[in-house]
Amino acid sequence: MAEYGPFEMIAFTGSRVLEDETIVFVGTGLPIIASMHAQLTHAPNLNMIFEAGSFGAILEQGLPLSVGDTRAFRKAVFAKGLCAAFELTQRGYVDYAFIGGAQIDMYGNINSHFEGGTYWKTKTRFPGSGGAGAMAANCEKTIAIMALEKRRFVNKIDFVTSIGFGDGSADYRRKAGVMGSGPYRVITNQAVFGFDEESRRMMLLEVLPGKTAADIQELVSFELLISPDLREMKEPSDEDLRLLREECDPEGYFLKRKVAK
Amino acid sequence: MDKLIKSSDIRKISSLDHEEIAKKSEAQFEYWGPTPAEARKRAVAKQKGLHDKRTTLKEAVAKHVRDGINLGIGGFVNTRVPIAIIHEIIRKGAKDLTLSFQSNSMCVELLAGAMILDPNHVSIKRVELAWWGYEVIGIAPLFRHLIANGMIQLDDYTNYGMSARFKAGAMGIPFIPTRDHGGSDMELVNRGKMIECPFSKENVYLLPASNPDVGIVHVPAADKHGNARLFGAHCTCPEIAVASTYTIMTAEQIISTDSIRRYPNLTEIPYPAVDAVVEQPFGAYPGACYGYYWFDMPEFLNFRSICDEFRKTGNKDKLKEYYDKYIFGCETFDDFLSTRPYNKLKELRQKDGGQPIIID
Repeated sequence: MAEYGPFEMIAFTGSRVLEDETIVFVGTGLPIIASMHAQLTHAPNLNMIFEAGSFGAILEQGLPLSVGDTRAFRKAVFAKGLCAAFELTQRGYVDYAFIGGAQIDMYGNINSHFEGGTYWKTKTRFPGSGGAGAMAANCEKTIAIMALEKRRFVNKIDFVTSIGFGDGSADYRRKAGVMGSGPYRVITNQAVFGFDEESRRMMLLEVLPGKTAADIQELVSFELLISPDLREMKEPSDEDLRLLREECDPEGYFLKRKVAK
Repeated sequence: MDKLIKSSDIRKISSLDHEEIAKKSEAQFEYWGPTPAEARKRAVAKQKGLHDKRTTLKEAVAKHVRDGINLGIGGFVNTRVPIAIIHEIIRKGAKDLTLSFQSNSMCVELLAGAMILDPNHVSIKRVELAWWGYEVIGIAPLFRHLIANGMIQLDDYTNYGMSARFKAGAMGIPFIPTRDHGGSDMELVNRGKMIECPFSKENVYLLPASNPDVGIVHVPAADKHGNARLFGAHCTCPEIAVASTYTIMTAEQIISTDSIRRYPNLTEIPYPAVDAVVEQPFGAYPGACYGYYWFDMPEFLNFRSICDEFRKTGNKDKLKEYYDKYIFGCETFDDFLSTRPYNKLKELRQKDGGQPIIID
C-alpha cells in the first residue's frame, strides 16, 4: 500500500460516501476533488452544482480555485446564478451538501461565524455562512469535512451557522422550516462519523487502521456513540492515489497542503 | 416581537448570549435602505425610453453615490466583482454606507481599508451579508479587524438569503419566504422572521426585501442603453440591478443594440434598471470575468498581505502607500491598469482559456 497524506484520505473517503445518480453541492477544495474522484470511479453519473450557478460542468481546465471560478462553468449543462442553484436545492434536486466549519457539536450543528466574544464584538470573526447554512438546511444529506481536534468537536459551539439536528429533538428541523434530512456523515482524516437514528447523536462508524475508538474519543470533547459495527476506514489504492494526484488535483493545491497545527 | 418565542422554538444550543439578543431584537424593524414602496416610486419617476447611458465612472459615481446610502455590490467572492466602481467610490468618498452583498472579497476589503485610513472620507456603518473573505487565500483581515473592534453593525444571512432578498427587491415584494436560516443562530440575530405558513401550516422563514439605493455591477457585455448579457456565473447581478433604485454598470465591452435585438433571450439585465453604462475593460481586475480573463492570484495575495500586516501590527504605512499609489494617485481605473505590465494582463486573458461567449 502506497503512502498517502491526510487530505488524500479525506478526499478518498468523501468520494466513497457519494452514490451514483445523485447531485452534490460542492464547496471549494476537497469536496470538488472527492466528487471528481467519485465520477472517475464508482459514480460516473454524479453531477456537481456550484453555488455561483454552475451545474454539471466538465472540469477540464483544472481544479476551480473558488466556487465562483470561471473554470467551474466549463461545459456546464446549466449556468445561472445563486438563486437558481439554491432554489434547485430547496426544491429537492440536490442530494448531498459538502460543508466545513470551525466547530461542530454532537448533533452536527456547525459554526462558521465566530469564536470568542459576543456576536456584535467577536474575538475571531470568520467569513460567515456563505452557502453553508443554506446547504445544511436544504440539501437532502449533509456531509461535513472537519479537522479532528478537541477544540473543534465541542460540547457547545459559539454560534449555529449550519443547522444539524439542533438540540436533538425529533421535531427540531421540521419546526425550523428546513427541508433536508440533516447531518449524514462527518469526515476527518482519522475517523468517519454518522448519526444515531434514535438519539440523532454523533456515532463513530470507522477509524483509521491502527486507531481505536478510545483514540478517537480522546480528540472529541463530547461523548461519542460507538457503532456496534465499527470498521476500519478503507485506504486508497495505488490507482485511487494516481487519480487523485494526476487527474483531480495535479497542481496539489489542496491535497498537498500541510496539516495546520 | 420577542424573537425567542418565535414559532421555530429554537433552543439554546450554542453559547450565544440570548439576553443581549432579546434586548437588540426589541428594536422596531426598519429597511436598511429604501422601502419597497420608495423603490417603486423611484422606478416610476424614471424616464423609460432607450437612451444612450454611456458616461464616465467619475460622472456616474458623483451623480449617484452619496453619504448614508445602501450600496448593493454585485459579483461573487472573486468573480466579476465591480472593482473599478469601488476604486471610483473611494476616490470620491462616501460616509455611513450600508453594504449589501452575498459573498465578496476585495470590493469590501478595499472599502474597509479606506475607512481605516480616513473615516472622514469613507466609512461603513453596517453590512448585510452572507460571507466576507478570500476563500482559498484566507480570511479577510480588515473584516476581522472591524468586527473585533466593534466598528460596524452586522446582519448575517446565507448566500441564498441575501440572493433571495435582492430577488424580492427585484420582484417588488416586501419579503420572501425561504427554507433556510431557521433553527440556526442566524434566526436569532438577523432581521428575518419565522411564521406559520397560512396554507401549509408549516413554519417558514421570511426575509425582508433588499432594495439598495445604488447597485454596482460589472458585466461582460452591454449595449449603450444598459441591456446586459452575462456569461459564466450570473452571481446575483440581475437581481441586484433590478432591485436597486439606481444601477451603475461597467462592461468589458459595449456591444451593438442589433446584437441585443438578435438574441433578446440573452439579455439578463434590461435597460430600464440601468442608469449609467461605462465601458471598462478589466473592470473586475484582479477578479475574474468569464470569457475575458482569469483571477490575478498574486495581486489578491499582495493586497491581502498588506491588510494582514496592518491587522497584526497596527501600522498603516503600507496600506496608505497602496491607496496613495493605486487609487488616489490614479485619475481613472485605466491609470491603475497601466501600472500592470502588458504581459500580466495578456497572461490573465490566456488563463481564461477562451470561454465561449456570444457578442456578435
